[in-house]
Amino acid sequence: MTTLDATPKTKPCGCPELPEISRRSFLKAAGAVGVVAGIATEGMFTRLAFADAPYAGDVLVVLSFRGGMDGLQVFVPTGDPGYVAHRPTISIPQGSLLPMGGIFGMHPALASLKPLYDAGDLGVVQAVGMAEPNRSHFSAMEEMERAAPGSSLRTGWLDRVLGLRDTGQPFQATQMGSNTAASAFLGPAPELAMWSIDSFGLSGADGPTESARWDTALRAVHAGAPDVVGAPAFTALDALSTATSLGVVGDYVPGNGAVYPDSGLADALRDVARLIRGDVGLQVAAIDYGDWDMHEGQGSVDTGWMHDHLTELSDALAAFAADLGTLMNGVTLVSLTEFGRTVGENGSGGTDHGYGQAVMLLGGGVKGGQVHGAWPGLANYQLVDGDLAATTDYRNLLAEILEKRCGANASNIDDIFPGITNDRPDIVNQLT
Amino acid sequence: MRGTIAPDDVPATAPVTRRSFVRAATAASVMAGSGVGAGLLRAAPASAAGSFVSTDPDLHMLRRATWGVTPQTQRAIRRMGRGRWLDQQLDPDSIKDSFVEDFIKHRLPDLDMNVKVAYETLGGSWDLMYDLTKASILRAAWSDRQLFEVMVDFWSNHLNIANPHEACWWSRHDYDRQVIRKHALGKFSSMLRASALHPAMMMYLNNASSTKDNPNENYGREILELHSVGVEGGYDEDDMRQSTMVLTGYGISWDTGTFEYHPWDHFTGPVGVMGWHAANGDEDTGYDVALKYIDYLAHHPSTATRLATKLVQRFVQDDPPAALVDKLAEVYLNHDTAIVPVLRKLFESSAFKNSVGSKVRRPFQDVTATIRTLGIGITRDQEGEDALEGLYWMIEGLGDLPMGWIPPNGYPDYADAWRSAGITLGRWNMHVSMAQGWWPASMLKVPDDWVPRLLGEQLPKTWGGAVDTLSKRVIFRKLPSDHRAAVLAFMDKAQDDPVDEDDQWLADWRFPYVVALLLDAPYHGIG
Repeated sequence: MTTLDATPKTKPCGCPELPEISRRSFLKAAGAVGVVAGIATEGMFTRLAFADAPYAGDVLVVLSFRGGMDGLQVFVPTGDPGYVAHRPTISIPQGSLLPMGGIFGMHPALASLKPLYDAGDLGVVQAVGMAEPNRSHFSAMEEMERAAPGSSLRTGWLDRVLGLRDTGQPFQATQMGSNTAASAFLGPAPELAMWSIDSFGLSGADGPTESARWDTALRAVHAGAPDVVGAPAFTALDALSTATSLGVVGDYVPGNGAVYPDSGLADALRDVARLIRGDVGLQVAAIDYGDWDMHEGQGSVDTGWMHDHLTELSDALAAFAADLGTLMNGVTLVSLTEFGRTVGENGSGGTDHGYGQAVMLLGGGVKGGQVHGAWPGLANYQLVDGDLAATTDYRNLLAEILEKRCGANASNIDDIFPGITNDRPDIVNQLT
Repeated sequence: MRGTIAPDDVPATAPVTRRSFVRAATAASVMAGSGVGAGLLRAAPASAAGSFVSTDPDLHMLRRATWGVTPQTQRAIRRMGRGRWLDQQLDPDSIKDSFVEDFIKHRLPDLDMNVKVAYETLGGSWDLMYDLTKASILRAAWSDRQLFEVMVDFWSNHLNIANPHEACWWSRHDYDRQVIRKHALGKFSSMLRASALHPAMMMYLNNASSTKDNPNENYGREILELHSVGVEGGYDEDDMRQSTMVLTGYGISWDTGTFEYHPWDHFTGPVGVMGWHAANGDEDTGYDVALKYIDYLAHHPSTATRLATKLVQRFVQDDPPAALVDKLAEVYLNHDTAIVPVLRKLFESSAFKNSVGSKVRRPFQDVTATIRTLGIGITRDQEGEDALEGLYWMIEGLGDLPMGWIPPNGYPDYADAWRSAGITLGRWNMHVSMAQGWWPASMLKVPDDWVPRLLGEQLPKTWGGAVDTLSKRVIFRKLPSDHRAAVLAFMDKAQDDPVDEDDQWLADWRFPYVVALLLDAPYHGIG
C-alpha cells in the first residue's frame, strides 16, 4: 500500500446500520457483570422450563485469544499459493508444517497438540468471523461477546447461556486467571472471576468458628447494598463456602501423570481441570490468553514471538487434555479471537488487524482431525479489504456446540443468538 | 494468609508479558464519545446508594477529588471552604509537597534521567519502569497535590502506555513527566501533541516502524479511536488509513532512543481525515502537517464530547448526564482545550452536587483510601521503598496497578467493569492485611497502637459507643442500627456491654479485624 488511491474504501467503522447498538454496547465492560435493573426489560428472557433440571451437558471452556490471533500462521493454508505470495518473509515453510490434510499444515510449535488432532479430539475451523469485519480490538471484542448484531441486547452471550439455568452453584460460571470476567458474561447471571483457586480465601477466617463469624458479619453489612457492590460480595461468600466444603483448595495432583508447563495459561487450565474433577457444578469456564497482537516481529518458524507463544499454548492444552483423560468426553473447549490478521505481512515482520480467524475445538465430542469451514481463498479478489473472508459465522459455530453438547434447544438458540441463521458448520457430534 | 498475596509468593521480578498489550484479561469497553455510562448503582435507588455515604458536601468533594479522605484533609476543606480548597488543588505548584518530592529525589532519583541517557545506560533494564509505578503509588497515597494526582491517573489512562512495557524501558518514565504531568492541568492539545512526539508512544503503538511503503496502522487508528474523537467520533476506515499515512515519518532515532522525524518515510500527497485536509506535497514539511492534524483532532467537537464524557464518568457518575457533558464540551472548546476551566465547571455543577454515593471505588482507590483513612505512613528509607514494592504487588493482585492496563484503551472507569467476586475478596484481604500490618509489613502503623489512634485515648464506655467512635473515624459516619448490630455481633458484644481495656477485641491481634470489617462494608467502597 504505497498510495492512498489504492486504498480500498470500506464501510465506516462502527457499521452505519448499527450505530445505536454499538453505542450501547460500549458500556459493557471489560469485566463487567450485570446491569441488572437496566437490562431487565430489554434483554433478559425468561428462564426456561427445564431450569431446575440438573445440567447434563458438556463443560464449555471458552478460550479467548486477546489481541487478534493470526490464524493463517497457526493452521497454515500452505497449499494456497496466496499464502507465500502475501507473506514473503514470515511464511512458514511447507516442509516444516505438521500435515493436517488438505491444503493445511499446523505450525510445528503445536507439536504437542498434534497427537490430539490425529486422535480426532482436536479440530479446527478456518475462516470464521462476525457477519461484519470489525478491526478495533475493543469494539470487536465487545461486539463478538455481545453476539447479537442488529438487536438491542446488552448482555453477553455466555450470560444468556447461563440464563437458561440457574443452579445456584457459585462455580457454575467461572473466569479463571483473572479477577474480572469477560464481557461475554455481562448480564444478570452471576459468575465468578478469580486468579486461581489457591488464591481464593479469606484472611483471618481460619477454622470453622472464625469463618462463620466473618461470613455472618459480611453478609449482614452488605444487606441493602447496591447490587454492583452486594452481588459480588455474596457470590464470593458462597464460593468460599463451596470451595471449603468440597475441599477443592489444596494440593492438586493432575490425572494420568499430566505435567502442566509453567505459564499463566497452564495455571488457569489446571484450575479449570480441578473444578471439573471436583464436580462443583462447573458449566462454563472462560480463560483469556493474550499477547497475540503481533504487529511487529512475529519471528521465524523455530524461534521468536509466534513460535514461543504457540509452544506455550500447545503444551498447556496438551496437559489439560491429558489431565482430564476420559473426562474430556464431557468437555468442549472452543477458542475465539476478536479478529484474524491481515493476509499480507506489514513492513515490520508482523501483521495488522484483519478479519477471518481460525477457531480451535478440543474435546471428546469434537469432529476432530480435520479443518472445517469453506476456504475462501487468498487470491486478491477473494479477500475482504486485504483480509481473509469469513465463511462461517462464529455464532453458528457456538450455536451448534450449545445444541449438540450443552442441551440448548432451538428456542434457546434464538434467545442466545437473536437473528441467527441456520447454517451450522457440523463440527461436533451429538451428545448421547 | 491464604487468599492474600503473601510476601513469600511475590515474584522477585515482574512476570514478563512481552509486548502483550492485548492480554486483556478483560476486553475493555471503549468509551464512545457519545456513549452513556453503565448505569452504576441502577439496581438500587439513588437514595439507597446515597445512604451509604455521608451527604456532607465537603466529604463528597474529598471522596471524588482525592485518593481518599483523611482527617487532615477534612479539617482543611472545612477551614478553607470548598472553593478555596479547589482553587489550591487546581494550582498544584502552590502546594508544598516536600515529603513525596524528597522521597523521589532521594530514593528514586533515576526518574529524573533523560531519555537519551536512559537509552544509552540502562541496557534494557526495567528498573525505571518499576520505579515509575512505585512513584505513582507513593504520590497517590501521600502527595498533598491530590487532585493533580487524580488527574495524572485520568490522563495516564486516556493516553495509556502500559507500564511496564518492553518497548518503553528507556522512555516510559519520561512520558509520565513530559507528557502527562506537564500537561495534566494544562491544555489537552499540548498533551496530545507531546504524546505524539514522544518515543514511548511511537514504540508502544508501533508508529516507529510505520513508513509510507509499509504503513503500520496501530497508532493511526488509536489516535482516532482512543486518544481523540472516539470510535463513534465520525471517522471511517478510509479516514483511519489516511490518519496512518499522515503520521508516517514520526518515529525514533535508534542511536539515541529519542523522537525523530524521518522525512524519507513520510507519505506525500493530498491527505484528508474527517474534514481536515492538507496538500502534504513535501516530505520536509510532513512533520508540521502531522502536527496540524493532531491539533485538529484535539479541537474536534467529538474529542470535546468524549473527554467531557470521560471526566464526568470519573468524577460524577458512571452514566453521564448529557446536559453536563454538553456543557463541559462547550467549555473545553471555548477555552482552547484547557482542562482547568472544564474541571471548575464540573465541580460547580448541580449534577456533581447531586451525585453523592454514585461512584464505586476501584481497587487502587480502595488501597489508597485505606492507607489515607487509617493514616498509615511510610518512611523515606529502604523500609519505605520496600513498602512501595509491597504495595506494588498488592495492587497488581487486585488488577488495578497504575498504568498497568495492557491494551491502549486504559482501565474502564465505571463500577460494572470492576464487579467481581474475586476482586471483592481481594479487597477484604487487603483491608485485613493493612489493618493487621501484615503486609506490606514495612509500612508504619503510626503512632504505635491502633486503639488509641482510632478509638481515642479515652475509651468509650460501651461497645455500642466504641463502634460509633470507630466508624466515625474510619468511614466518616455512624452506622445504621442493623449494620452496627452486625459489627457488635462480630465481636460477640451487645451495645450496652461495658468496654474493658483488657478485652480481647482491643488486643493487637483482634482489634484490626474490626477495623477491616468496617472497611469491607459498602461505606468505604462507595465514593
